[in-house]
Amino acid sequence: MEVEGKGGEAGTTTTATRRFALPVDAENKSTTFRLFSVAKPHMRAFHLSWFQFFCCFVSTFAAPPLLPIIRENLNLTATDIGNAGIASVSGSVFARIVMGTACDLFGPRLASAALTLSTAPAVYFTAGIKSPIGFIMVRFFAGFSLATFVSTQFWMSSMFSGPVVGSANGIAAGWGNLGGGATQLIMPIVFSLIRRMGATKFTAWRIAFFIPGLFQTLSAFAVLLFGQDLPDGDYWAMHKSGEREKDDVGKVISNGISNYRGWITALAYGYCFGVELTIDNIIAEYFFDRFHLNLQTAGIIAASFGLANFFARPGGGIFSDLMARRFGMRGRLWAWWIVQTLGGVLCAFLGQIHSLTWSIVVMLIFSVFVQAVCGLTFGVVPFISRRSLGVISGMTGAGGNVGAVLTQLIFFKGSTYSRETGITLMGIMSIACSLPICFIYFPQWGGMFCGPSSKNVTEEDYYLAEWSSKEKAKNSSQKFAETSVSERGRASTHPQT
Amino acid sequence: MHPVFLIKKSIFFLPTFQNLTMAIHTLLFAASLLIFSFIESSCGGNKDKVFTGLQNSLEVTAKPVQDSVVLEAGKDMVTIKWKLKSSAKVDADDTFKKIQVKLCYAPISQVDRPWRKTHNELFKDKTCPHEIVSKSYDKTPQSLDWTVDLDIPTGTYFVRAYGIDGDGQEVAYGQSSDEGRKKNLFSVQAISGGHVSLDIASILFSIFSVVSLLVFFVKEKKKAKLEQRE
Repeated sequence: MEVEGKGGEAGTTTTATRRFALPVDAENKSTTFRLFSVAKPHMRAFHLSWFQFFCCFVSTFAAPPLLPIIRENLNLTATDIGNAGIASVSGSVFARIVMGTACDLFGPRLASAALTLSTAPAVYFTAGIKSPIGFIMVRFFAGFSLATFVSTQFWMSSMFSGPVVGSANGIAAGWGNLGGGATQLIMPIVFSLIRRMGATKFTAWRIAFFIPGLFQTLSAFAVLLFGQDLPDGDYWAMHKSGEREKDDVGKVISNGISNYRGWITALAYGYCFGVELTIDNIIAEYFFDRFHLNLQTAGIIAASFGLANFFARPGGGIFSDLMARRFGMRGRLWAWWIVQTLGGVLCAFLGQIHSLTWSIVVMLIFSVFVQAVCGLTFGVVPFISRRSLGVISGMTGAGGNVGAVLTQLIFFKGSTYSRETGITLMGIMSIACSLPICFIYFPQWGGMFCGPSSKNVTEEDYYLAEWSSKEKAKNSSQKFAETSVSERGRASTHPQT
Repeated sequence: MHPVFLIKKSIFFLPTFQNLTMAIHTLLFAASLLIFSFIESSCGGNKDKVFTGLQNSLEVTAKPVQDSVVLEAGKDMVTIKWKLKSSAKVDADDTFKKIQVKLCYAPISQVDRPWRKTHNELFKDKTCPHEIVSKSYDKTPQSLDWTVDLDIPTGTYFVRAYGIDGDGQEVAYGQSSDEGRKKNLFSVQAISGGHVSLDIASILFSIFSVVSLLVFFVKEKKKAKLEQRE
């Protein structure tokens, strides 16, 4: 199948059998990103995936803004609330790892919709819980849905090509993460509407949970009905028709976990996204207790942290792509390390501030930095592996949640550290955990401190090395290698033979 | 066609979005600075009043109407009585314009719950969040049969009354328990808030989600088989 089109800015691309609304590369991935389009299949996939992820985030963090009511209804203690917070982010550690492999095998459309539809019951059953154990359990199971993050990144990496993949990943994830902030505004509003209709407080919050549950269910339907796994079609159809070779699960997984870069991104992501999740769980309480604000004000501040995701994470992805254009992969790595370190500094600083206004100012700047780092991380992830893209995405995503669990366990459980000390220590840990980024090295592009290998390793060598010489299904890796030549940056121009 | 040529053409679209995000960023930042400095200044008011500075000149008793061990929210009643202590000065209550009677948490219900913590500064104190009644002060001894509100949480309680002057500041108090808040306490069992209809709705919606997932799976398999035959 040949890509015939010349792919002008406004034109369409025609292949032997298909027509795309956007210009595409050799793998039929879009080379542009048009935010306000819903063109099939690329932009439509984008809008479906970010919206589904947004709904999952809303559901997972639907409890924190209503905690003042829930804790009285269920007679929760601070320990129960802390445990539920840890439970809400720990479920998806495992789910994210599995999701990576599921995407590699079944395609992001089915994998994500299956997860979303099977965790929706946890949200519905929140309406019926009667005890602290019930609360911890529903938060645990609802939290599994955060694994749709992996499918979002996988889907975007399958639909968008190198120069725009950072932006696509960043915007999709950012607008999904937005759900964590939006829910702090949505749930209280839904709650007060239901109260106005005559329900008591202790019934109104229960009814309110049907809203995120319904949205989650409907978004999954939309993905199944209108989405498509790849530009060329769906996984299942393509498997059967022989266009896409089925891969060996064991090989895919072992190839993924043996790539050291995946572990470094997992650790670093644990201290940017993990920090973001931790803050989502504790920041309202922090402002409420330390500065004696009322709940609504504390809630608005908590929401503004999450709402910065609207531009901050996409900004990180776009910045990564900009750096790549000029400096190639080395630019992406430097930008990532610098912004993450600065984010850690700001976090450490935040815990030391005594004034309310300055705390809010620093928190807002810090939120932009920490969310941009998440976008910068996923500017690098698509290039680590082609064969095991799902596994690497899953590991990194899971690493984010592990970071959140560890941080909350070490610094925010019980009263070993005051909240402000905990925040400072979290910042310091973030700086330490971003140092390994300096060790990421791509033989074809270089690393932060070293240039490309003197042996003149090409992109083809790197990606085809993931397959043994006996394995035949290398076509997609071949095409990807060709399109990722742009990661060399503007300075070098190696003509492809 | 060289892929790099296609890629270079794509650069055209990114800057517009980037400028927009920068502009939104600056606007949001400036707006939030304004809003929050306003909030801080409006958080002022009298922060000096402390509980230990109040006169314990009121005598308050609170007895459940039925001597059952645990009161049910929304059903059972408590008889609350308050008057000026006989040991207080005769004109001690001249400054009282209002009396505010509140339901307060006993220490046992405050354990591991920092949102119910007792602080000496009155504006910070979270011991007595539930108001029973607030009315203009009457020098004669008062009595009230109060039904425990529907939204009172499960816990152990006592009753406290504050005498409030014309400026809205607390000047005196009295409580149905002792100083250590260990005696004359009563327990409340909250309503569950749950309803059978809610449980049924949860089950129905959950079944709907899972079943539709299975339906989709089956449809996908059939579609794939069809395409294979073509």
